[in-house]
Amino acid sequence: MDYFLQNFPQQLVNGLEAGSLYALIALGYTLIYGILEMLNFAHGDVYMVGAFLAAGAAGVFVHNEVAAVPAGLAVALMMVVAMGGAGLLGVGIERVAYRPLRNANRLAPLITAIGVSLFLESAVQVWVSPAPVLVPSNALVPQTVFHVGTVVTPLTGVMLFVVAVALMVALDAFVFRTRFGSAMRATAQDREAATFMGIDVDRVIMVTFFLASALAGMGGVLFGLRYASVDFFMGYLLGIKAFTAAVIGGIGNIRGAMVGGLLLGVLESLVGGFISSQFQDSFVFLALITVLLIRPQGLFGQPLADRA
Amino acid sequence: MAQPRILALIAMAGVGLAACGGGSTGGAAANKPNKVQIAAEGPFTGDEASIGAGALQAIQLAVKDFNNAGGVNGTPVTLLIWDDQHSAQVAQTLQAQGISDPTVLGIVGPMNSGVVLGSVQGLQSATPPLPFVSESASNVKVTDSGNSVAHRVNARDDAQGPADAKFMIDQGAKKVYVMDAKSDYSTGLADQTQAYLASHNIPYQRDQAKAGQKDFSTTITKIKAFGADWVYFADEGPEAAPFVSQMKQQGLTIGQNINFLGTDGEEDSSIITTSQGAYDGAYATNITADPAGVSGSAAAAYVTAFKAAYGPDSVSKAGPFYGSAYEAAQALLQAIKNSPVNNGKISRADVISHLGSDTFTTIFGSVKFDSKGDVQGGGIYVYKATGSNMVVVKQVSG
Repeated sequence: MDYFLQNFPQQLVNGLEAGSLYALIALGYTLIYGILEMLNFAHGDVYMVGAFLAAGAAGVFVHNEVAAVPAGLAVALMMVVAMGGAGLLGVGIERVAYRPLRNANRLAPLITAIGVSLFLESAVQVWVSPAPVLVPSNALVPQTVFHVGTVVTPLTGVMLFVVAVALMVALDAFVFRTRFGSAMRATAQDREAATFMGIDVDRVIMVTFFLASALAGMGGVLFGLRYASVDFFMGYLLGIKAFTAAVIGGIGNIRGAMVGGLLLGVLESLVGGFISSQFQDSFVFLALITVLLIRPQGLFGQPLADRA
Repeated sequence: MAQPRILALIAMAGVGLAACGGGSTGGAAANKPNKVQIAAEGPFTGDEASIGAGALQAIQLAVKDFNNAGGVNGTPVTLLIWDDQHSAQVAQTLQAQGISDPTVLGIVGPMNSGVVLGSVQGLQSATPPLPFVSESASNVKVTDSGNSVAHRVNARDDAQGPADAKFMIDQGAKKVYVMDAKSDYSTGLADQTQAYLASHNIPYQRDQAKAGQKDFSTTITKIKAFGADWVYFADEGPEAAPFVSQMKQQGLTIGQNINFLGTDGEEDSSIITTSQGAYDGAYATNITADPAGVSGSAAAAYVTAFKAAYGPDSVSKAGPFYGSAYEAAQALLQAIKNSPVNNGKISRADVISHLGSDTFTTIFGSVKFDSKGDVQGGGIYVYKATGSNMVVVKQVSG
């Protein structure tokens, strides 16, 4: 019991950090599912590409003497490059791989999504690097470590949590408080009816993909700063975890994705810390099954727009 | 499409020359095999591409060098690329092509113990059996199962595990946190190390990482709670850099209040860079030598040639087995070259017997396999991260 009490706060913090990344990626799954009712299995790899863009940008702005800029500006530029690049990639994927299949059998875009995912992984492995690539986080952000009681956490971990939560709140406000957000919710509710109301559905879908992918790109930046290295396979496992988080929270539901991500992170951390690392995944999926048995619609139920 | 035509021409020329020679089996042309193929097998894409991609480059270079030196009595060797993606099922499908084609004379690989153990029966029961020379599969069962097809140039887990444990004890280890990465290779190795620690009354705690894991904070909290002075991580993948960076962030600095011993994938100097120096002072053992880390002109020439072929930063991306992959290819190709040619054909049975009996000249010196297929005198190399390099500090002969 002593062991538990001594280590619980630290494991909780560990879990919240990991969970905020899950949540950020889960938002992408949920946004796209909410609008199109399709699972964008390439989303984890969009996040991976975002992380590589961030690493590339960091390399240019930190090491290259011509383009070297102060650290704070370099981080801002990394965010612009990674969010913009990932966003455009998401829009491109939608245009090439999903839009032609929008009225096809629902399985068809699922298959192209898996295809895009494998393509992105292989492309980065072959053209960029099969080995992990460094993000020079030492040169970009202060390596401050916070000590609160027995809890130790680096600044980059706090950043991960704070930025992720801020983005989630901003996204929530965008979807529920703005005109464009209403258009998104209308499209989610009934695409045809939204068209009749004068909503440019294609544009709504494009913006949704851009937003979802840009969030993934931001996830890539925060990840790079926190863990300092990125590799071509990083999107695979995280994509599955984030997808699970989205389903636990109720896929299609933005607040559900946030809570699902944080819960999943904390659950993993506590199982790993106090039961066994070996059973981490078993417990995660046990939780998923339990939630689905008791509340098949996920913890938060209703999707993006309330559906009848 | 030009290749079959050229082969046909060569075959016709061979027939013509043989006719001139009065139909005897003597003469250069009769010793020239019609077609020689070998396969490179490993995880060239997928989760273990970080060890596979560099090994493939090495094998391609070995075949090219061998062909430039004349091939098998003038016949260039064709390299088939079998990307098993670290899956025994995929491996079996790929190997089926080779099993049915008698001009496929051997495999360089498979690289992962799990893949070997899942597919070796098929290779052994083929007619004739299809031999392989692995550059990295270290699980003891790879060569202990009595299969004549099995060979490897790397050292075994039962040499490495105890050597690793003994090394930590010699360095004064009091409490060891033993981790594996959930694979046939790393779990088997960590078991060996753990058993040696247990038999020497060194307290340990066992834990597991996952392939591709990036966030180690949960594990590090446990290491601190356990009060370990050594962390042992049996791993072949890219998990080490984020792991040690986070150890440092959470206050465990290698060389100060914690020591770190990694295995094969972790003698890679790029970990020092990708961990931004947090890896400095860490040790790692490897079941093969790193050509850049050993003395010897052949190894140095190979490193130069590798960089010339694939770019100046290629060695740092090549993973831990780019040396042993070249070595394994050299052994297989020389065994093929030493095998008799009958009517333009080389038999796999002869290749297997030559693999067993011959001594091969490689970039690491002479190599010979014992009766089980293990390399004789295979050593364990201990590296230490020093500055920006991994330096060999010790060689434990096997």
